Amino acid sequence: MKFQIEEVTVYFPYDNIYPEQYTYMVELKRALDAKGHCLLEMPTGTGKTIALLSLITSYALAKTESPIKLIYCTRTVHEMEKTLAELKFLHNYQVKHLGAAAKMLAIGLSSRKNLCVNPTVSSAENRDSVDAACRKLTASWVRSMAAENPNQPTCEFYENYDRAAGGAVLPAGVYTLEDLRAFGKEKGWCPYFLARHMVQFANVVVYSYQYLLDPKVAGIISKEMQKESVVVFDEAHNIDNVCIEALSVSVRRQTLEGAIRNISRIENEIDRFKDIDAGRLRAEYNRLVEGLALRGDLSASDAWLANPALPDDILRQAVPGNIRRAEHFLHVLRRLVQYLKVKLDTDKVEKESPVSFVASINSDAGIDQKALKFCYDRLHSLLMTLEITDTDEFLHIQTICDFATLVGTYARGFSIIIEPFDERMPLIPDPVLQLCCHDASLAIKPVFDRFQSVVITSGTLSPIDLYPRLLNFHPVVSRSFKMSLTRDCICPMVLTRGSDQLPVSTKFDMRSDPGVVRNYGKLLVEMVSIVPDGIVCFFVSYSYMDGIINSWNESGILKDIMQHKLVFIETQDVVETTLALDNYRRACDCGRGAVFFSVARGKVAEGIDFDRHYGRLVIMFGVPFQYTESKILRARLEYLRDTFQIKEGDFLTFDALIDVMNIKLTDRNLNQRQAAQCVGRVIRSKADYGMMIFADKRYSRHDKRSKLPGWILSHLRDANLNLSTDMALHIAREFLRKMAQPYEKTGSTTGRKTLLSQEDVEKLGNNGAQEMLY
Amino acid sequence: MNNSEKKRMNGEAEEENEEDVEDEGRDAWERTYTDERSWEALEEDESGLLQPIDNKAIYHSQYRRRLQSLSATSAASRIQKGLIRFLCVVVDLSKAAGEMDFKPSRMAVIAKHVEAFIREFFDQNPLSQIGLVIIKDGVAQSLTELGGSPEAHIKALMVKLGCAGDSSLQNALELVHDTLHKIPSYGHREVLILYSALSTCDPGDIMETIQKCKKAKLRCSVIGLSAEMFVCKHLCQETGGSYMVALDEGHFKELLLEHAPPPPALAEFAIANLIKMGFPQRAAEGSIAICSCHREAKVGEGYICPRCKARVCELPTECRFCGLTLVSSPHLARSYHHLFPIEPFTEVSARQLELSRVASKTCFSCRESLLTPGAACTKCKQYFCLDCDIYIHESLHNCPGCESRRITPAAASATMS
Repeated sequence: MKFQIEEVTVYFPYDNIYPEQYTYMVELKRALDAKGHCLLEMPTGTGKTIALLSLITSYALAKTESPIKLIYCTRTVHEMEKTLAELKFLHNYQVKHLGAAAKMLAIGLSSRKNLCVNPTVSSAENRDSVDAACRKLTASWVRSMAAENPNQPTCEFYENYDRAAGGAVLPAGVYTLEDLRAFGKEKGWCPYFLARHMVQFANVVVYSYQYLLDPKVAGIISKEMQKESVVVFDEAHNIDNVCIEALSVSVRRQTLEGAIRNISRIENEIDRFKDIDAGRLRAEYNRLVEGLALRGDLSASDAWLANPALPDDILRQAVPGNIRRAEHFLHVLRRLVQYLKVKLDTDKVEKESPVSFVASINSDAGIDQKALKFCYDRLHSLLMTLEITDTDEFLHIQTICDFATLVGTYARGFSIIIEPFDERMPLIPDPVLQLCCHDASLAIKPVFDRFQSVVITSGTLSPIDLYPRLLNFHPVVSRSFKMSLTRDCICPMVLTRGSDQLPVSTKFDMRSDPGVVRNYGKLLVEMVSIVPDGIVCFFVSYSYMDGIINSWNESGILKDIMQHKLVFIETQDVVETTLALDNYRRACDCGRGAVFFSVARGKVAEGIDFDRHYGRLVIMFGVPFQYTESKILRARLEYLRDTFQIKEGDFLTFDALIDVMNIKLTDRNLNQRQAAQCVGRVIRSKADYGMMIFADKRYSRHDKRSKLPGWILSHLRDANLNLSTDMALHIAREFLRKMAQPYEKTGSTTGRKTLLSQEDVEKLGNNGAQEMLY
Repeated sequence: MNNSEKKRMNGEAEEENEEDVEDEGRDAWERTYTDERSWEALEEDESGLLQPIDNKAIYHSQYRRRLQSLSATSAASRIQKGLIRFLCVVVDLSKAAGEMDFKPSRMAVIAKHVEAFIREFFDQNPLSQIGLVIIKDGVAQSLTELGGSPEAHIKALMVKLGCAGDSSLQNALELVHDTLHKIPSYGHREVLILYSALSTCDPGDIMETIQKCKKAKLRCSVIGLSAEMFVCKHLCQETGGSYMVALDEGHFKELLLEHAPPPPALAEFAIANLIKMGFPQRAAEGSIAICSCHREAKVGEGYICPRCKARVCELPTECRFCGLTLVSSPHLARSYHHLFPIEPFTEVSARQLELSRVASKTCFSCRESLLTPGAACTKCKQYFCLDCDIYIHESLHNCPGCESRRITPAAASATMS
């Protein structure tokens, strides 16, 4: 369908549109008009992606005089593929209606691992080794060597691409990663470098968050993006985590040992070069004197990860004299590693600010701040000079240099925390030194400054006013949309008591109470007997899950569950979990029924949808708190309180921390956002339905409950706030029966319109115009 | 006691007949709780007072709606209907059937309504046959072979009532498939599954079995008793059946009875077919013969196959010896109305009735005076009360008004042509 929003004609590839999609587009359009940033929350399953894509591309079509570019950031490759598929569908529709005028170029960009078509390279097992294998074939010195020596292997795809030079362009169209590979194979061009080249010319670019937020990657990939771009962060509910992760480094013992190995290898290389080609090292020294810290004159295939600090903070100065010579630089590195090693040998937790840390390095190891700051660039230059291609071997020393550069550059918003052992296992020494960024706004600031509009959107951004403060920006539009439904297809319940009327909770002092464990078990046993197909259970942590499953096994509860449904358990092993999930789905499909035990912050909670019959019921056992004793969390809270005046309690209830594994419950604070993400996975489309049970007495308190997103809250009736197991059973039975009745898509009989046709939208548009007149 | 007795009178008059039979063994106080949930027959009005729900009005409006939707689907386009049906009723008697959310238990409710359904089915489809299958302890067993005698099926089911073990949809489908796939091509193969359980424990891949059923053109329908299951939905979508879940007992009965009238014919069956049938004569009074179905000597009862002269007890059936389909002409005649149903009457409000030219404001068929809104036949323009309306459409299948007009020769010739 095709309709007007103010002066823009929007092409929408479906015949009907949800009202909330329409209002979403109207708000988005206003933000684009104002050339400002915006923050939009709309529940999952309402078609955010297609609404975004169709409005922004239509907007670009309408404003031909100042063409805008769309940069769409997703979290995972899977989401990227989905987005591109939808874009393709939309593009076909637009071309059908507008003809050639609607032509555009849209590409997805991912790492070499996902794009490489060279059979020898792409067979490597992880990202870093694919990158290294590629460099081995395409680095400029390798290629020049190959020109003399025909036995030197090179990558034919890259050679072809390089030979075609300016002629290597993608024709207009929408390319998924698969399409890019196919195109590359057909033409014999390297799809990775082709895509990187085409990013500058494409109308729509879809790639991962890191390409914009992580300064190491953004420096090479995204530096030439035009200002007139709209940047969209989809599923951005933990964008702050991505931001701080991009600027955080952690150093372990293995890192240091690896670094020492790297240093000795570099030393050998230097010695070798001294014998063969002393002039080369001399040339590098001269270059560094002139301050050409390897900028500008590199071919695309040589480009490495850029400086970990943000572009504005990198000094455009010559590398300081004391590290210009390769040997001197190696000595500095050695001293640094030695110093860190001593630091790690502590038996108590230490917390330091970067300023004092740098001062003590200066006094103990004799390395000044400026030298630290240039560590990364200097290392980079050295590796280049030494013509080292197997970069995956040198990750450890890179980490150390990352750390040095960041510590040398930033005095505020960071802290250094040394923990001698893991809090959960105090007996096993596993010292870790972490440089933690506390300020999410640091990494995202260049994005806000550089681009005209930044759109942050997700299914759950509650509470919506906290994001602008965390990320330190001023949105012109910030709104939360409700889902319009023809029927009450979600049924959230708060269960506070077991069938014996004793309260249930995962509060620290109650969690091991056999009564609570039994009541949780009873709840699940009863539920598996009345809920069809799939049930997903979330626990607060792996250790808690292990404990409770053990005691259920002993008391025979697990056996009772198995009579009705098969049981699958998430583990920390990715392969195992994937297999379990796969079988879980099969069991749901064939009618056997299954229960999936998962952890609220585990792999499953991030990114896998339990839609339709794969998740008729989600039970959240307890409240998934952040582990509040964590030093990193404490430090970040302090920083937030001092800098942004965000109260600790507020933030904790909101929760934003990265440390996924550290989960432990304390009774005061909870992470509602995490809980909301878990249960949000039940509903993915309007015909779908599902129940959610929040099984903890603390959910009945208003201050905790109110942090749940609006679309769940609006379905949470007062009657369902304080249930016991048997009451919940009764409600579940009724609900499942009601939902099994035939479903009417448009809702015409109930009078609640949830699908708008073309005429409806036109009417809406006219009324809106009139409202504005009066 | 008095109070509830009164409610019984006004409320569930239509179910009275069936329930009286069962109620005899119980005390009066038991009866009030078991067979009707009297508290559910109350509703709150605007001022918060409790009032009995006007069941009759609801019943009438429900009926009108059903009739409209039926005529909308069938009358608009002339749909071919499968009149000769071979229906396998699969009753799930796994331990989920013992649940008490239907009173007294799911099993008892199923049995009660299956009995009513079987009678209704043979009433509406005299040429069709039913077979009963139950699922118990993870295996499916055939209770009765395909046959045309309602009593035999009902008796077999009542004897076997009792639930245990898991349920297996695949086993049931395999069994049904084996029974039905050898049915001649003119017969419509249908499966009706009454499923209590929420899971199925299968020995193999159920998806393959579903495809097999689809290939054999079995139309599988499922009525669930607790919640929607994906695999059932998938089965019904694949084979063209309907999948419904019962809300309560009344709804279950309604859903079950929806399967009594013949469904529209599948496209593959829509080719015309000639079937050889025999119309046996009733055996002479007092003649003694051994019947072929029970192998017993009987006096006087039964029919004689016109081809091989064997004796059979009941019609319709297939002759045991020569395999001829035996029916009686009234059976054929009774199937006829599905193809040409009487059109639904138009509703007439009380005010329209006032204005109309009809002097006597009485129902044309029962002669009761018309006080409440009535209905009028679109052809003969006679007025009927709502009760007669229902009776005419659901049982009689003939409009008394139109029938009595045929006396005039002109009208008669018109209808003939």
